[in-house]
Amino acid sequence: MGERKDERPIPELEGLRAPRLSGRDRGRLHERILLVAEPILARRRSPATSWDVLAKWARPGLVAAGVALLVLAGAWQLRSDPEPAAQQVALSDALAVSESGPVPALLLASNEPDADAVVVAALLESQAGRVPSPDEQR
Amino acid sequence: MGPTNGGESPVQDEPFLVERARRGDREAFGTLVGRYAEQAFAVAYGFLQHAEDSEDLVQDAFVRALERIDSLGRGSPFGPWFYRLLVNAALNRRKYLARRRTEEVPATTSSRESPAVDSARSELRRHLASALGSLPPELETVVVLHDLEGFTHGEVARVLGIPEGTCRSHLFRARRILRELLSEYREHG
Repeated sequence: MGERKDERPIPELEGLRAPRLSGRDRGRLHERILLVAEPILARRRSPATSWDVLAKWARPGLVAAGVALLVLAGAWQLRSDPEPAAQQVALSDALAVSESGPVPALLLASNEPDADAVVVAALLESQAGRVPSPDEQR
Repeated sequence: MGPTNGGESPVQDEPFLVERARRGDREAFGTLVGRYAEQAFAVAYGFLQHAEDSEDLVQDAFVRALERIDSLGRGSPFGPWFYRLLVNAALNRRKYLARRRTEEVPATTSSRESPAVDSARSELRRHLASALGSLPPELETVVVLHDLEGFTHGEVARVLGIPEGTCRSHLFRARRILRELLSEYREHG
């Protein structure tokens, strides 16, 4: 029953219909639209010159060129100012016996030790029978 | 499309008119305006319920259509494309206007009846307009185009870019919701 009813329009909706435009209103609306559209129509009438095309692309072109320049400058900066390569601790430095033995000397070094230095230092330390405490390791 | 412009039977010379309007021909564009402006106004009014706002909207829709006319495929019918543009603009405009003002729905009927009857009728219109506006946009569009403006299901489907069956079910759902809202209004005033 309800379904059949929903297949019919709602009569009250008639009240929301637009008022009919009088001939004068129609003419006024028509003129008004054409007046506003005239500049666009005029633009469409005149064929685009190469300058128009260039002007249209000028802004995106400038932005793209700016971005490209920035990227190039960044790349140039990176190449001319390379980060100093990490210098490894030489074996002789690692073996230099400080007051507390070779391992702390190794740990105090500002650069990372190479694998040989670590192995040699560990061997020396184990021969000395001394295992560094976790605090010392840190 | 609808009662005046052929969505079902596209006007023969329309692709030719569109082509000329594309090249800036004032007369061709004027012919398209003459064909669609009146019904465009009625559709806009279905959404906005305000004559001046509807005229503004129709003007903007035609200008926008002219600006984007290159995106209309060669040989494609102007009507469905233009009404889609108009409906989207109407939904956006109403959102914008709703934020800006809460204006009463103006009465369009002449007041030959008593002020009490007039007032009740205008209250009902206001309620109906707000119920219609509360529907999801696609349901509201189907009601405005089909029930208010007499578009066929095929025409509405082409405007919305949906299958005809979906259009029918949208209309069915929309009417059911509107009837419920209307009966609630009648029961509780």
